[in-house]
Amino acid sequence: MNFITYLIGLPLIGGLLCLLIPKAKEVIAVAISVITFAVSILAFVFPDQASQYFIFDKMSGFVALFISLFGFLIVLYSIKFMQKLSAERKISLTQYYCYVLWTLAASLGAVLSNNLILLLVFWGFLGLTLYLLMQIGASDFQESSAAAKKTFIIIGGSDCFMILGIAIIWFLTGTFQMDKISINFASYNSPSLPVIAFVCLTIAVFAKAGAMPFHTWIPDAASTAPIPITAYLPASLDKLLGIYLLARICLNLFNVSAYQHINVFLMFIGAITIIAAVFMALIQHDLKKMIAYMNISGAGYMVLGIGTNNPVGIAGGLFYMLSTTLWTSCLFLCAGSVECKTGTTDLDKLGGLAKYMPLTFLSSLIAALSISGVPPFNGFFSKWMIYQGLISSLPTSNFQLLTLLFIAAAMFGSALTLASFMKLLHGVFLGQASKHQNIKTSERISEVSWTMWLPQIFLAVLCAIFGVFAIQIPLKYFIFPSLSTSHFPFPAVFSGVWQPGLATLLIIVGIAFGFIFYIISGLKYRISDTYIGGETLPSEVRVTGADFYQTIKDIGFFKTMYSLAEQKMFDIYDWGRKIVSSVGSVLSELHTGNFETYLSWCLIGAGILLLVLVH
Amino acid sequence: MLPLVVVIPIGIAFLISFLGKYYKKLSDILATVACISLAILSFLIFYELRTMNYEPLVYKIGGWLPSIGISMVVDGLTAVMLIVVNVIALISVLFSVSYMEKYTDKWKYYALFMMMLTSMNGLIVTGDIFNMYVFLELGTISSCVLIAFGTEQDELEASFKYMVLGTVASTFILLGIAILYSYYSTLNMSDISLAVSKGSSTIVITFLTLLFVVGFGLKAAIVPFHAWLPDAHPSAPAPISAMLSGVLIKSLGVYALVRILFNVLGVVGSNILIILGVISMVVGGFLAIYQKDLKRMLAYSTVSQVGYIVFAFGLGTPLGIFAGLFHLINHAFAKFLLFLNAGAVVYATDERNMENLGGLREKMPVTAATSLVGSMSISGVPPFGGFWSKLFIILAAVQAKEFTAAVIAILISIITLSYYLKLQKQTFYGKLSERWQDVKEVPLTMCIAMIIPAVICAGLGLLLLPQIKIVFLDPAVGVLANGLEYGSIVLQNIK
Repeated sequence: MNFITYLIGLPLIGGLLCLLIPKAKEVIAVAISVITFAVSILAFVFPDQASQYFIFDKMSGFVALFISLFGFLIVLYSIKFMQKLSAERKISLTQYYCYVLWTLAASLGAVLSNNLILLLVFWGFLGLTLYLLMQIGASDFQESSAAAKKTFIIIGGSDCFMILGIAIIWFLTGTFQMDKISINFASYNSPSLPVIAFVCLTIAVFAKAGAMPFHTWIPDAASTAPIPITAYLPASLDKLLGIYLLARICLNLFNVSAYQHINVFLMFIGAITIIAAVFMALIQHDLKKMIAYMNISGAGYMVLGIGTNNPVGIAGGLFYMLSTTLWTSCLFLCAGSVECKTGTTDLDKLGGLAKYMPLTFLSSLIAALSISGVPPFNGFFSKWMIYQGLISSLPTSNFQLLTLLFIAAAMFGSALTLASFMKLLHGVFLGQASKHQNIKTSERISEVSWTMWLPQIFLAVLCAIFGVFAIQIPLKYFIFPSLSTSHFPFPAVFSGVWQPGLATLLIIVGIAFGFIFYIISGLKYRISDTYIGGETLPSEVRVTGADFYQTIKDIGFFKTMYSLAEQKMFDIYDWGRKIVSSVGSVLSELHTGNFETYLSWCLIGAGILLLVLVH
Repeated sequence: MLPLVVVIPIGIAFLISFLGKYYKKLSDILATVACISLAILSFLIFYELRTMNYEPLVYKIGGWLPSIGISMVVDGLTAVMLIVVNVIALISVLFSVSYMEKYTDKWKYYALFMMMLTSMNGLIVTGDIFNMYVFLELGTISSCVLIAFGTEQDELEASFKYMVLGTVASTFILLGIAILYSYYSTLNMSDISLAVSKGSSTIVITFLTLLFVVGFGLKAAIVPFHAWLPDAHPSAPAPISAMLSGVLIKSLGVYALVRILFNVLGVVGSNILIILGVISMVVGGFLAIYQKDLKRMLAYSTVSQVGYIVFAFGLGTPLGIFAGLFHLINHAFAKFLLFLNAGAVVYATDERNMENLGGLREKMPVTAATSLVGSMSISGVPPFGGFWSKLFIILAAVQAKEFTAAVIAILISIITLSYYLKLQKQTFYGKLSERWQDVKEVPLTMCIAMIIPAVICAGLGLLLLPQIKIVFLDPAVGVLANGLEYGSIVLQNIK
């Protein structure tokens, strides 16, 4: 049976069905996404043969599996969330579900295609669906349409570079079929063409996955688009697709090992992304924007891992990709639940929700611990692999000092991540309850409905399982098989020893001991209100946690950097806009509407042409 | 059958100008019937050409042999152009029926419209270079009057500019034709082509290239000869703007240019076209993004996109010609559609400044949806038609080793995407202001006239299916790629 046709065709037809039968849109969307997920499991267990147009190896198989999993979880989550949203604002839910399903189809198509043109079509179509989805259910029309425009210009613009890259690859190899392409930099006298092609493709990857300097659409998209969409596209599908393509480029399309500059370039982008994004995350006041920056810094780790060009590093990069999609979408969904119940995601206005929303708190806690790299969750293990990859690439590297700096950046970034999640957890779930959230909603805050908490919990549990049983499940079934086909010897030899199962056991034993001591010693405790200096705080002057790291912002160097960032000096989109509009205004000045000028242009133009032709 | 493509529109034009004044409804009916029959006719001609295995169909007017009489020639390229022009004209008339109600003297409009169509059809099918010049002038004059149709100050000024610059263009072309005649003693294009292929001095060909590039470049609005277009195209009534940008500058400008350069002078591909094409796309793109006026932005976008077409033709490789022709078709339908959308917006709101518009998607869903399709097609977003032609232009450029130009084309395509998203954002998305609370969707016929090209835009990628490509596009590309063989092939078919 040909699973690929079903995987792409089902959601495509499902989307059309939603348009045709608007009444049953939710049923159709859930049914189609469940079936697609089931088919992708089947397809993963019994892979299809690769054809001229589609490929189903272990790598595309596991990415497709997770794409369809996210498709299902998001549709499930959307039912209640979007219902509530559409009650508040005028939203076409029919279009929403249609685009969500089409996105699913296009993502699966992009991952499974074995032909660069086919990949380009699906890849570009995703930009369009993201644009359309961002326009739906926006909180503020003006802002959201600006954000949607910006997103689509960055994504669509990067797709244009991809076209150029693909054209050059075709020029060099004469084929579009991905499994036949293998470009070795060493075999060209001047490697400028292959390098341009490589850079063009990585631009598309960076824009999709959100690595710097093409990351700026993600915070904007996160703060204006409906949360399920943020969790769906920038947080999960775009990451999976982007890093999948990067892995394909580095492992299959190009042979990068002969050209270390490429690796250093990738690692450099990765390291910069990690550090800069984490610093931006530290100072955010908005829950959604903060998670968005954490998401960007995640992309940095992946690029760094794959850039090592070292078996463990690449495996780590892929594992980190998987892990990041799990925890960021989990966090975004949690943020959505918070928004759904309180009407805001502003850290200044939130607080003390753990009591009312225990399941949401639990899942955010696990996701936050994972993302900060706390053992035994998956974040720790995947970061551990990336560090190892970096370290083991040191001896053969020509750029040892730089690589050392990259390691430092990655570790430092991890620490700062933990710091920013302390702020997040404190600001939203712990601390003192805010008055705002009670004013906003007349009913008492309670846990969200099961269709919303189930996806959160599911993702959080996956985070835990993939951490504790890292070697037994994700690495064994997903990561190593997808790499062993290429030129790397797998299973790789780890240079450091970390047995997550044993460690988890020890951690649990430790906690259990502590608990036993606590009970035996019979310590007494009392519950009181939050107080400072012996005075109970009224809720107006409570500590929100939003300004935990305000001091960093006041340090000289960081102060300038932050103020430059606020002026959008690091936003490539803003730069482009300024350049284009200044050139446009100069040209526009020339068009005076003066008729003699126009006539003289024609004649001068004719004269110049004559000169050119005669030469 | 062949002369009918010219006889029908010119006959109807006369009929309308005699009778239209007295029977108001008659001009609507006559124009619609004429356009329907022309559209069918263009397909029939294509079908006949196909049954003849793409041997050119030649019609000798009055039975006179070429070099004495005028002949009409239909080959693969002509047939494709005829279909594009007449289908678009049909949709345009459909749109006009409601849209032109707000103008007085609707019948005059139809008479001029038919004249314009005559000129395009005539120019496409003629095999005589002086006859081509006559049709070119006919097209320029009728479109000049149509641009001034609203008789406001701006419109008259734009029309005047177009008229004068058009005359300059005609002078260059006429000079070129005169030189051709003095060298080869014939005005028949296939005769000239044959004579050139037997050997001719390079300097003459070079100078003729210059004259025709400047002359037809003015008609095609290639930078630096473009300055009339941003005034002229927006000034006309919407269906005419759509026709001008959609097909007129392509048949009068680009088609005539490549036909003469490639087939008559034997200049298949030239650096001049590449350079001019790149300059056009850059200048048009930067200017388009700076505009606030909806129709003016579209007009500058035309300059930029014609640059892409000319650039692709200039590469001269079969792939380049294919990309150019395909982009010509895609752009014809997409830009036509976008001007109709702009017309619908103006019809509903009487406002062209995008800064005052916004949020119209709620009130005008059909216009908004079709406009999105048109914008996405020109911007080259898959799976719409424009994506494929952009892809082929880049592939052709890289294949021809024009790497710098390929990079510029890519950068400008990002700018293209940006200004179309700006158009979408400022016109259809965003917040609906108080002022437009009572805006309604345009009448049904106009909606249908927008939906048809939108469907075509979305489906044009299907032309690339091997079975369709072989029938429809490949013969047309073959004609241009063959260059000077055109002369002998056509002359063989004159019995």
